[in-house]
Amino acid sequence: MKSFMTFRESLSLAVAKEMEADPSVFVFGLDVPDHKRIFGSTKGLVEKFGLERCFGTPLSEDAMTGVALGAALSGLRPIHVHIRVDFMMLAMNQIVNMISNLRYMSGGKLTIPLVIRAVIGRGWGQSAQHSKSLQSFFAHIPGLKVVMPTTPQDAYSLLRTSIRDDNPVIFLEHRWLYDVEGEVDERKTIPLGNATVRRQGDAVTVVATSWMNVEALKAAEVLERRGIQLEVVDVRSITPLDEETIIQSVKKTRRCIVADYDWAFCGFSAELASLIHHRCFNDLKKPVERLGFAPVPCPTTRPLENLFYPSAVHIIRIVEQMLGLEKTDLSGESFYSYEHNFKGPF
Amino acid sequence: MNHGELLKMGEYNHLSIEGCSPDIIRCLYRFMLRLRRCQEALIKEYYPADEMRCPVHFCIGQEASPAALSLLLSQSDYLLSHHRCHGYYLAKGGSMNALFAEIYGRATGANGGIAGSQDISVHDLNFFSGAILSGSVAIAVGVALGFQTKALRSVAVTAFGDGATDQGIFWEAINYAVLRRLPLVFVCENNRYSTYAPLSKRQGKENISERVQSFGMNVKTVFGNDVALLYSVFSNAIEEAREGRGPCFIEAFTYRWNAHVGPGEDDYLGYRSVAEREFWKKNCPIALLEKQMVGQNLMDSKIKEKMIVEIDQEIATAFQFAKESPFPHLKEWSQLNYNIDTPQADRLLETIDSSFFDQNQKEAMPGPY
Ligand SMILES: Cc1ncc(C[n+]2csc(CCOP(=O)(O)OP(=O)(O)O)c2C)c(N)n1
Repeated sequence: MKSFMTFRESLSLAVAKEMEADPSVFVFGLDVPDHKRIFGSTKGLVEKFGLERCFGTPLSEDAMTGVALGAALSGLRPIHVHIRVDFMMLAMNQIVNMISNLRYMSGGKLTIPLVIRAVIGRGWGQSAQHSKSLQSFFAHIPGLKVVMPTTPQDAYSLLRTSIRDDNPVIFLEHRWLYDVEGEVDERKTIPLGNATVRRQGDAVTVVATSWMNVEALKAAEVLERRGIQLEVVDVRSITPLDEETIIQSVKKTRRCIVADYDWAFCGFSAELASLIHHRCFNDLKKPVERLGFAPVPCPTTRPLENLFYPSAVHIIRIVEQMLGLEKTDLSGESFYSYEHNFKGPF
Repeated sequence: MNHGELLKMGEYNHLSIEGCSPDIIRCLYRFMLRLRRCQEALIKEYYPADEMRCPVHFCIGQEASPAALSLLLSQSDYLLSHHRCHGYYLAKGGSMNALFAEIYGRATGANGGIAGSQDISVHDLNFFSGAILSGSVAIAVGVALGFQTKALRSVAVTAFGDGATDQGIFWEAINYAVLRRLPLVFVCENNRYSTYAPLSKRQGKENISERVQSFGMNVKTVFGNDVALLYSVFSNAIEEAREGRGPCFIEAFTYRWNAHVGPGEDDYLGYRSVAEREFWKKNCPIALLEKQMVGQNLMDSKIKEKMIVEIDQEIATAFQFAKESPFPHLKEWSQLNYNIDTPQADRLLETIDSSFFDQNQKEAMPGPY
């Protein structure tokens, strides 16, 4: 069955489907059943499944993450939700010392079917403590899978796959994506570790994570008017990583920008740049460029926030440099902001 | 004491100004009125203008605690508060101009626009806040450890909501403060809710103070809208801490009138009862004090009028200051990474194209590029 829906609706639909299919699936976390329902992404669940399978918690991220692990060990399949990834930092001991290790320690005998959903990224002057993304941080830890959907279909299918996975999965959702609309085929499954080409092109490959796909497509739209075709590859899952789709694209275009929605230093973009240099050494016409957050804590004020977060403008400028082009005149061009958001469809 | 029991009381009629000098009473009153009017003014301006581009947690109804502290802390004392911090910011002597400018994201703000409302700090005044719950409670313990180590007579005060007491770190901090007998005062503003969740849905028993006491902590539980009572309780606790007689925990029962965050109301959601809201509005901290002051001829309509004129002038000046101030200038951008040991990070900072930086971006649409 196919229908048109928002990213937020696709998330609650995915969880509802899994909860229907498997009584051991439950969802919990701070604010999960409250009026706002985590930007609407847990809407309808408490009505359908009751407070036993959809409940709020005290402000106790650390302990509740241990609770999630314990529940997983006892045979349940918890989905723990954080309205900001920054709050997950209080639970790093459980995540990095306990959750990530146990399956390995048990020689694979134990399964840890646990999903941690977290909202990432830019809002509206959210400042340094409510604005991070941190996929590099999580992906650094062996034993964790890290997923970052961009479209409603991917959110839906990848969340279902993540819930069915017997390993811990960190599922990161950019808050500006909740409004994005798109077609969702309820029967479509997407495995983890499967990147996708969002847009075909021959000039430069932009490998993007999460919201950076929206920015990359916007950059492609602007550059297309000058006859430059960007290829946009959506990574979708950081670990496991689909190397082949990325490498194939770079071998074709021979130029690559990694546009990661995270800090660049010691980040996922560095990992990919290293991989691409290694595997495409003789194909590359230019060194791989990287784009990420500015290496500072996130500033609140709009002018600096605009510089902190990478955008379509940054991508356009790097492409121009790579191709030795004059700067495109961007006056009159409208880019995404909190007020001028992107609704899709893709 | 708990919220349920308080409601049964109906009207609070224990506020007494006997123990305080008229000067102090006037100062407490003026502080609360100033805080109230400044919040109301920000609320009125928030949406129509859309220039305050950060989440703001207003503290209408909770003016008493910061008012009492405002008269008791010196510059060298530290005050660490939470996301609902405007009152504490003013209590520590932060200027209204710099507060407004910070919320407006301007270079003249307390943090040059970088922190916004919920992370605002004033380092010259030893004031801090922060948006991670319970985050500053343990930090205050460390500040107090510093005072003790250096044998200073300074005191650290940390203010937070009942929500912070859900966190494990809160109890660890309490334990350590007691263990080391630190010069520290914990102020818990129990307004019953953490966003939409009442305490009863988050803790097995509504007895925060009792549990804190079992750690060996000195504890006081008070009606938090009685500013005179708070003043005397804080005054004692701070004095004890200064004299090296250890930390104290004060639980002040109070209520936030507005929505959890933002300028609106969220009562239409139905998570708080009408009776509860009416109880707390009837027992408004400003009105309770005013009644006593009128009874003792410390207040009349003329004095109040004059105060309001002065306060509104200060508010108008702060708005004007904020709106006329520039946004941070681009030259500050390259200086933002203060960690001199990370040249690689600095290089990344330099590669960011800032040619589209617009210092005067008043309008959000279309994009500022
Ligand atoms: C560690 C952490 N978890 C969750 C949040 C989200 N959050 C912000 S304010 C708030 C409610 C806090 O309630 P309380 O501490 O009682 O203070 P109040 O808002 O009532 O003044 C919550 C849950 C946060 N800021 N930090």
